[in-house]
Amino acid sequence: MSGARRLGGARAARVQADAGGTPIRIDRHTVTQVRESWLIEDRWWTDQPLRRRYWELVSETGRDIVVFHDLLAGSWFRQR
Amino acid sequence: MELHCHSAYSFLDGASMPEELVGAALELGHQTLALTDHDGVWGSMEFAHAAQGLGLRAIHGAELSLDDGRHVTLLVASARGWSNLCRLLTLAHAHTRDSGSPSLRPAASSLENLGDHAEGLVCLTGCAERGVHDEPGVRRLLEAFGRERLRIELQRPFLQDDRARNRALSGLARRLDLRCVATGNIHAHASSRVHLQDAFVALRHNVTLEASEPLRRANGSHVLATPGAMAARFREHPQAVSETAVLAEQLDFNLVGDLGYRYPGVEDQTAQRRLVELCQARLGDRYGGAGLAAAGDRLEEELRVIEALGLAGFFLLHHDMLELAREVAVEVRGPDTARALLPPGRGRGSSVSSIVCYLTGLSHIDPIASGLSLGRFLNPELTSLPDIDLDFPRDIREVLIRRVHDRYGRDRAALVATFPSFRSRAAIRELGKVLGLPPAEIERVARGADGFARRVERDVEAALGPGRAGSGRWAWLKSLSEEAYGLPRHVSQHPGGMIVATRPLIDCCPVVPAAMEGRQLVQWDKDSCADAGFLKIDLLGLGMLSAVERCVESIAQVRGTRIDLSRIPFDDGPTYAAIQDADTTGVFQIESRAQMQSLRRTRPANLEELAVQVAIIRPGPIQGGAVNPYIERRQRQREDPDYEPPCLHPSLVPVLRETLGTIIFQDQVLEVAQAFAGFAPGEADGLRRAMSRKRATVAIERYRERFRAGAERHVGAPPELIARVWEMVAGFAGFGFPKAHSAAFGLLAYQSTWLRVHYAPEFLCALLNEQPMGFYPPDSLVHEAQRRGIELRAVDINASEAECTVEPVAPPAGGASAAPACGEAGHPVGGFGQAVRIGLGYVSGVREEEIETLVAARREGGPFRSLAELAGRANACRGSLEQLAWSGACDALAGDRRQALWQLGVAAPGRRVPGGTQLALALDVGETPTLAKLGRWANLLADYATTGVSIGDHAMAILRPHLAGVATSSELAVLPHGGTVSVAGLVVARQRPETASGVVFMLLEDEHGTVNLIVPPAVYERHRHIVRAEPLVFARGRLERPAGGGGTINVLVATLRGLDPEHLAGSAATVTRLPSGDPREAGGPEQAEPVAAPDRVQAVGGLRAVAPPVQSFGSGRRR
Repeated sequence: MSGARRLGGARAARVQADAGGTPIRIDRHTVTQVRESWLIEDRWWTDQPLRRRYWELVSETGRDIVVFHDLLAGSWFRQR
Repeated sequence: MELHCHSAYSFLDGASMPEELVGAALELGHQTLALTDHDGVWGSMEFAHAAQGLGLRAIHGAELSLDDGRHVTLLVASARGWSNLCRLLTLAHAHTRDSGSPSLRPAASSLENLGDHAEGLVCLTGCAERGVHDEPGVRRLLEAFGRERLRIELQRPFLQDDRARNRALSGLARRLDLRCVATGNIHAHASSRVHLQDAFVALRHNVTLEASEPLRRANGSHVLATPGAMAARFREHPQAVSETAVLAEQLDFNLVGDLGYRYPGVEDQTAQRRLVELCQARLGDRYGGAGLAAAGDRLEEELRVIEALGLAGFFLLHHDMLELAREVAVEVRGPDTARALLPPGRGRGSSVSSIVCYLTGLSHIDPIASGLSLGRFLNPELTSLPDIDLDFPRDIREVLIRRVHDRYGRDRAALVATFPSFRSRAAIRELGKVLGLPPAEIERVARGADGFARRVERDVEAALGPGRAGSGRWAWLKSLSEEAYGLPRHVSQHPGGMIVATRPLIDCCPVVPAAMEGRQLVQWDKDSCADAGFLKIDLLGLGMLSAVERCVESIAQVRGTRIDLSRIPFDDGPTYAAIQDADTTGVFQIESRAQMQSLRRTRPANLEELAVQVAIIRPGPIQGGAVNPYIERRQRQREDPDYEPPCLHPSLVPVLRETLGTIIFQDQVLEVAQAFAGFAPGEADGLRRAMSRKRATVAIERYRERFRAGAERHVGAPPELIARVWEMVAGFAGFGFPKAHSAAFGLLAYQSTWLRVHYAPEFLCALLNEQPMGFYPPDSLVHEAQRRGIELRAVDINASEAECTVEPVAPPAGGASAAPACGEAGHPVGGFGQAVRIGLGYVSGVREEEIETLVAARREGGPFRSLAELAGRANACRGSLEQLAWSGACDALAGDRRQALWQLGVAAPGRRVPGGTQLALALDVGETPTLAKLGRWANLLADYATTGVSIGDHAMAILRPHLAGVATSSELAVLPHGGTVSVAGLVVARQRPETASGVVFMLLEDEHGTVNLIVPPAVYERHRHIVRAEPLVFARGRLERPAGGGGTINVLVATLRGLDPEHLAGSAATVTRLPSGDPREAGGPEQAEPVAAPDRVQAVGGLRAVAPPVQSFGSGRRR
């Protein structure tokens, strides 16, 4: 292993969302419950603005998952 | 509907004006909106009127902070509820300015207070972040408000714990059998303001945007949303959404109605009789002989109008206020002073035209003798209360305001608030800081910014070069500044507007403590107060009245002459000679650069002409095109007494005769409308009001049509003539003085000139002690006085008092009396035997109490004989003593400033210790080593760095030998008109009047006098930073000294630059250490006179840091 790695860093995720943007499948697992959703908009004054819609979900396996949708780049990431 | 909404009146926690919220709410489909600013209703009246105008139902309320830091949202359900809200807010603010508090404490209310004032209010449990969410807390609210008037407030700000919180709150509501409502906690009317709201939060906490992350809202969900979007946001709580609508329907209180305010005396049935008696009793004293009958007729007519309008109580209230001022004046002035001869205050404004005001002491101008008509002030068709403004000397006003609070009760009297708003300079500084931009660059941009323009991009480019404004954070600064423009920044107090009431004012509007001890404010500004029907009494402080009183007192002390300014000769030749030659520096109203230029051409010769002069340099006459025709006609009339000035129509001759066919006074707009278009007095006043309002284009157009039809009918004028007269009238839409006001100000202009001419040292001394006031900074006043031959004496530890003083001048050796000195224009200077000593109070950085202690110690123990003794006896801190030494105040003890600093350093003055100052022993400081003397420049810098006044060499006198080919101000009078000249000088004023189409006027001063520069817009844009920020400038351009200009001299600038070393002839490229004026940097080697190049390098650079603040672009004095 080379160099330090940030703990709990976001990883790219394959997310399928419904028309309203709510995730319904994450990495082959079906979402059974939406626990919470929140929105972060920050650093708009910098070269790296941030707009993320977070979702805390429960998958069919019973795992608690947090993903976010990068609203600027359009990509999805898994936080937990 | 939305029941929780903040406007910019939450001060840095809301980014939209009430009317923007109203407009956006209607566009988004809301029918009802509640305004719930933090701990205040500052914007409620504005909101109510905007909502009424646009057809939105307004709900009023506030988000109240509790003393444990939590918030509840209060909504007004009835008139009783409004009164309770006002009382609650008053209580919440009661201790925000308690003495000992270094800054404003946050408002806070106890739950007990809330319970005591719950009637008529509906309480929501507060915002997501800081609401009352615990069961015991909600139960206490339930006890106070009952089930019908308490709701659990659900919010969905899209934070991580929203759903859990709302589920818990819904559960709590079920347990307590309460209903929930859904609110948005709105802080902006549109998403374009979200970033500004973030910046405001950072600014409020005095941190950068980066550092404010935990304090800011996480996202932009606090923008007003459509009702549909709100329903979707709360889809899990549909009952809360429907209950919100139900509750909104129940809140039925309209702020645009009678709040129950009455001013004292309005309901007094005996008021008319008492007013008549008061006036009749004084009629005989004021008027005698033939004038009595005319005065009696005028009085009768006025009293009839007053009775018809029911305003007798209004006049008696003002009279009562003046009587109170009379008592205060006796206390403040002392029983046996020369000032005691003067009235306690004076009227200003249109009320001066009233004989009732004259007889009751509210005005000092005889309206009959001055030919003042009443219509502008009072007419039978008046629909709102007239204005009576009273001017007082500052010290009397200070006590009077406190006394008014005591007389009418602290719950019945308060000052009117004002809301200073973001202009570009403040926005650049504050928003630049939160964006983390480099402080030096921010300051450079701010100093060069056009204060009132909304073009930050150009300001940035002008300061930092092209390309910067559009990139990175500078681009954000531009957009944030533009969004912030005009939004209220904080609360301040109106210059003197007071509200008094018969019933507790706190039932109508909250009252909060003001920053100045003993004063309090209503939470509304003057427009909101007027909308609420409050009577505003203006008790204004006028610096010149204070200066005149000081001067009269000083003359009595120094010369033993007691002067009653109402009995001085009003046809004094030397006074009018000074006025006509524009030798008016420091006098009231006619001292500015523009006034001086005009005076030389108009040459006023009596008080009537002086009244015109006071009124002429105003936007109204300038935009109405009256100034040049008036001046030219006045000149022609002087040359040819038979000259008849032209008038557009015979019906206008009586109305415009005095002003030579032009409209100079505001009342002439009314008179022209009546004489030419047959308007009734009330209709004419309506036209004037429409013209003085902003954005009244539609109303003015309506009047234009009536004017046209009226003129056709009344005088049968042809269309072209009607159009020309209308042009003259409509051109006056800008600000102008009523004739009565001009007469009052003209009189003070004359009186101050008379004092200046006959008692010059005392007058100068009074001006120096009343600063800040007037057009010129003390440094310019001093230089001008020196040019007139008045002796100025430097600040001296053993001779100066705290204030500037007048000292006798010893007769010259041999006993011969001094030859009368002559002023610039050859007028004799009144004060041959007196000099003016600069006071210790002029030394910046020395606290007032230190100066008082020092002066007391000197009185008690005799003069200080050494620096060591000064350090031991004066009880001042080391920094203050060093500042005194550096100002030259100790030169007599130590030889010069460096020696004084050295000796002070060794003398170890008293040290501050807990509980006071540990005094030093007055030990002998021993021999001082030989220290190089300060050069002339360094002395100048030290003067400016400490007292802001240089009474030694003028900066230009020192630089003159190095300025080849640069004309002095006195040489301009003999150089040919139209030729190219170079001039240089210290900047005294920079102005860019709105009426001048972008032209900037600068006033420079050199060692001989002043030079007027006209900087065309293109030159200004090229050299904006030099114009706005350089203290010393060099200009080259065309000399303009037209034949008919009465001696007016201008330089039309083609090129301009700061007077820096590379432009000084013979300057070497050597750069040495720069002494900035700071005493700690004073130890380096110094060039001996004459000034050599390295010294000049130091000097000019250092002057930028210490140059005295000057009149700058309408924003007062700044460096």
